[in-house]
Amino acid sequence: MSTPEEITAQRARWMTVAQKAGTPLMSVLLAMIVGSLIVLASGGDPVAAFSSLWEGAFGNAYQTGETIMRSTPLIFTGLAIAYGFRAGLFNIGAEGQLFMGGLAAAWLGIVLAGLPWFVILPVMLVLSAVAGALWAFIPALLKAKVGAHEVITTMMFSFIARYFVSYMLNGPLKAPGPGGTPGTIPISAVLPPQSTLPKFTDLFPWLPPNNAHVGFLVAIGVAVVVWLLLKYTTVGYEARAVGFNPFAAQTGGVSIALTTVWSLCISGSLAALAGASEVMGVHHRLSDQFSAGFGFTGIAVALLAKNHPIAVIPAALLFGGLAAGSGFMQLNANVPDKLVDIVQALVIFFVAAESIITWFIKRRQKEATRNA
Amino acid sequence: MPVLELRGVTKVFPGVVANDDVSLTLERGEIVALLGENGAGKSTLMNVVYGLLTPDGGEILVDGNPVRIRRPRQAIDLGIGMVHQHFMLVETLTATENIVLGREPTRLGVVDLAVARASVVELSERYGLKVDPDKRVMELSVGMQQRVEILKALYQGARILILDEPTAVLTPQEVTELFGVVRSLVTAGLSVVLITHKLEEVLASADRVVVMRDGRVVGETRPSDTDEISLARMMVGRDVVLRVEKGPANPGEVALEVTDLDVDDDRRLHAVKGVSFQVRRGEVVAIAGVSGNGQSEIIEAIVGLRRPRGGSITLLGHDITHSSTASTIAAGVSHVPEDRHRRGLVLEFDLAENLILGDHRRMPFSRRGFLRPKAIAATAKKRISEYDVRTPSASVLAGNLSGGNQQKLVLARELGRDPECLIAAQPTRGLDVGAIEFVHKRILAERDAGKAVLLVSLELEEVQSLADRILVIYEGRLVAEFAGGQVDAETLGVYMTGGGRGAASGVSTTGGVSA
Amino acid sequence: MPSVGVAEIVSTVVQPDLFAAAIRIATPLALAAIGGTICERSGVVNIALEGLMLISAFFGVAAALACPVVLGITGVAASWIGVLAAILAGVVMASLHAFASITLKSNQVVSGTAINILALGLTGFLIQVFYQRTGTTDSAVLIPPLFAFDPKPSGGLATAWNWFSGVALGHTPLVYITIVIAIAAQWALYRTRWGLRLRALGEHPRAADTVGISVVRGRYMAVLMSGALAGLAGANLTLEQVGSFSENMTAGRGFIALAANIFGRWTPVGSYLAALLFGFAEALEIRLQAFIGVIKIPPQFFLMLPYILTVVVLAGFMGRAVAPAAVGKPYEKE
Repeated sequence: MSTPEEITAQRARWMTVAQKAGTPLMSVLLAMIVGSLIVLASGGDPVAAFSSLWEGAFGNAYQTGETIMRSTPLIFTGLAIAYGFRAGLFNIGAEGQLFMGGLAAAWLGIVLAGLPWFVILPVMLVLSAVAGALWAFIPALLKAKVGAHEVITTMMFSFIARYFVSYMLNGPLKAPGPGGTPGTIPISAVLPPQSTLPKFTDLFPWLPPNNAHVGFLVAIGVAVVVWLLLKYTTVGYEARAVGFNPFAAQTGGVSIALTTVWSLCISGSLAALAGASEVMGVHHRLSDQFSAGFGFTGIAVALLAKNHPIAVIPAALLFGGLAAGSGFMQLNANVPDKLVDIVQALVIFFVAAESIITWFIKRRQKEATRNA
Repeated sequence: MPVLELRGVTKVFPGVVANDDVSLTLERGEIVALLGENGAGKSTLMNVVYGLLTPDGGEILVDGNPVRIRRPRQAIDLGIGMVHQHFMLVETLTATENIVLGREPTRLGVVDLAVARASVVELSERYGLKVDPDKRVMELSVGMQQRVEILKALYQGARILILDEPTAVLTPQEVTELFGVVRSLVTAGLSVVLITHKLEEVLASADRVVVMRDGRVVGETRPSDTDEISLARMMVGRDVVLRVEKGPANPGEVALEVTDLDVDDDRRLHAVKGVSFQVRRGEVVAIAGVSGNGQSEIIEAIVGLRRPRGGSITLLGHDITHSSTASTIAAGVSHVPEDRHRRGLVLEFDLAENLILGDHRRMPFSRRGFLRPKAIAATAKKRISEYDVRTPSASVLAGNLSGGNQQKLVLARELGRDPECLIAAQPTRGLDVGAIEFVHKRILAERDAGKAVLLVSLELEEVQSLADRILVIYEGRLVAEFAGGQVDAETLGVYMTGGGRGAASGVSTTGGVSA
Repeated sequence: MPSVGVAEIVSTVVQPDLFAAAIRIATPLALAAIGGTICERSGVVNIALEGLMLISAFFGVAAALACPVVLGITGVAASWIGVLAAILAGVVMASLHAFASITLKSNQVVSGTAINILALGLTGFLIQVFYQRTGTTDSAVLIPPLFAFDPKPSGGLATAWNWFSGVALGHTPLVYITIVIAIAAQWALYRTRWGLRLRALGEHPRAADTVGISVVRGRYMAVLMSGALAGLAGANLTLEQVGSFSENMTAGRGFIALAANIFGRWTPVGSYLAALLFGFAEALEIRLQAFIGVIKIPPQFFLMLPYILTVVVLAGFMGRAVAPAAVGKPYEKE
């Protein structure tokens, strides 16, 4: 039995959930409206565009599988950015940590090939995550010790990572060409089957054909873990305290420097998992073009999810669906697939719509006082 | 005709009347001191005059003409200049660039630095304000920076100069020089409003004194017609609204001992100078003083938020001088910070989360890094009812509580920990009468339970009603000590504002009760 | 043993065209970096340089291609109109950033990120709408070099002349304009009223406000100027270097520009020199490709250099690198 107070409290909680979801939903709606206007202005048919977009994202099992596949890395990068934001850090360099994660996975998958899959898969995922954490460690240290802004340092590190990966793919990790000749393209060797994440159709042959892989389940599991980490561990508690109010956290005995380092490294490890899951589940090898800007789309995912780890999942599915449906839309409605990027940018703008709304209200009030 | 006249100026902030029907005149060539405690409304009044705040009522007249000042630019155009307590200087620019900023001498958009520099040199020679015009402000001493501020106001054409607590950051020699400069300014025909809480400055430099208290003007006099005691009475004297019942203290062993403590503030100025005191179990020791005299730095040094430059701090015989905040808390020091929004609470956390801050790494709230929600919820429920925090549930965000309930929440956390020593800074700031009474009772209950309590307060009334011993701090030094209940507010007021040095010569500041 | 000696490599690589290439590569970087300098000096972070460049590069080409049809203007003149269009596109896009970060006081990094994504999407979208294909636009007429490069027969003074003309002459107009802009902006920043006030805005906006300088107006101006400069950078890429626009053709140059701004310590000439250094590293990398078997430094190292150097500067290993004190913070009146 619930007491009346508890019922009120529960109702209040649902109200806040509804309020929290309100702005993101509104911003997606607004972005689609503006997107429609752009389609209209370019001589296209917005209804056809968005219906074929939907068709392409969830129209049949194969397309749904594409959506799931494309949203998998976005869950990881969305979590990475969201975790950083919760601790007051803007990890704009998630793309770089993602590359390092992918690199680690591509290397480990071959090095550890002798081990059985139930050892190799967890080891690959964990060590890839560690690689991402290490890549975030120097920016984290610089932030904690000399206050170098993480936006610039992680961004710089992400370019360094991309060139490092490029170097590895042109050198040590380059796959040999046919018949043992030296390789010509910068791409790593194909992973042995035991170090890849299976497709759902591999596990359940009765499923209709699609490309979704079990990395999606890993991503959901990690989202839950991150949620638990934030909510039920001292590490997450301290991260949130520092993110909300570093001064109060400090007064409560929390080390801001240590929390900063931990948080950015955790964020980096989450981003790295995106790279690992792409290598292990989708490409089965590493190339320097293996990320479609997942690190940056992760920013949109995190903002849309209001940095809530569980909400990251639907937000990632939305952007994954947009990506999956875009090709279909281009084919069937003759609307350029780049519309999806525009919608994504607009979503980011409109998630900041809260301040647009308050700005309008303030202006109204100002006018009212001026007229009075 | 007065150069500046205020008639019935009123300024209301949410919940506080900062200026209540204030009238004031300033004649040409006159220094008027605006005297009052912290929060008496002096700075608010002058910010209204300078266009930084918009008044809710009343009139301002310059040279007898009513004016509306809504922006600093308008004040400047009327000949009003202000030297803010926190300097409005761009550190990376030179003294000259700062002085001419906003009214740069230009030729086709190019700043004529030679002309600018010449004007600065001319002004600085005319009023004896020596500065190096080519040095960047970040390379100048605080006293020099202040001169740049004054020169800036003069360059902008100020005839009326407002100085907001100008001596707060200066060394004694710089203070002497400053008043020399101010004197030469009024001789040259300027008029000066000096905002201060230091009696000696008022008596030494002002032509007229206007005393403010609780947003109102409570008296006006000339230095020749008054003395420290009566000024202090005007400044602090107020009807006693409440006084908690309290039994005699029962001091036990020394719990907190501070010896020869030296601490620097954020600007790396020597803020605490060789302070020593003890707090015993079962007594409330209060540090009385005007804000900014080193109290915050003492507390921050004790709780590990600031590294002391020298001296030692022990708790029950254990050295905690260089302990981290976390280990200070663990050692048994609880801290009610002076700014509960900034330091006391995470407003975006719910009540339960706030209640474990500082204890969150320990049983029963966590084990091996995992929080224990049941224990946290149970404790939250208990503390909320025990400390009478009015809330629908423990999952309400702290930011949604009223000020009084927020402070109860802080107390619930800090006292609920069952500390050895409680440090309470401004524990009743901004609270209503009911909440004040609650906080006071709780603090005394801690004392009676054998805890050592260090109270830092700007409210003399609070100091008098709670303290068993009162230490008075002035410019980073403890200048007097009294037994609680044996000193009146006027005497305290005199010491707090740098007066009474002669009378204080026999007062010990290191050991037990002496006065 | 390598078949080619070090001396031979040096003499092959260290030729006038190496330095000319460095200057050429540095130009768009420097333009955007100076834009970033002005923007950040006013207190607004601009990580949108990449997007601003991209969108201007596209509209520059699009306008130049449209000119013959719409205005009846052809040839190089059309391309110059394209340059103006590129500037305009940069300013319009920057005004979005200004509105979001100054008026709405939203997170400046978020706003910049959105602009970068928007620019990528919008240009890709418009290529297909305008030219019915993906990837690249048609080619506009390239703006020709300002001076004719005329090699003299070798010997004595002629060598010096050949070096000089090889390095310094033979560039397109915007290359020279960029050098002029760098010097002019440096001078303006430290000598004019505008520059003095700009520096005050980024360091202590409240101090500026109390002497009657409008923070909002000053910051808007600065952000729009950074849009115009990034616009010129985009115009240089398409109308002077490539001719056509291809998707994501800026390829991170906006971020190198941001790095150059930091490495140049938030000064226009510093930004230019940093861009020149980064441009030199890239030019050297391209020329050393030919000796990949001899020189064991991986080419990626040269490409990483701008980013590594920037982190080193930020870490404080090369003297104090101090950003404008108020950068990134929306200005709140009391």
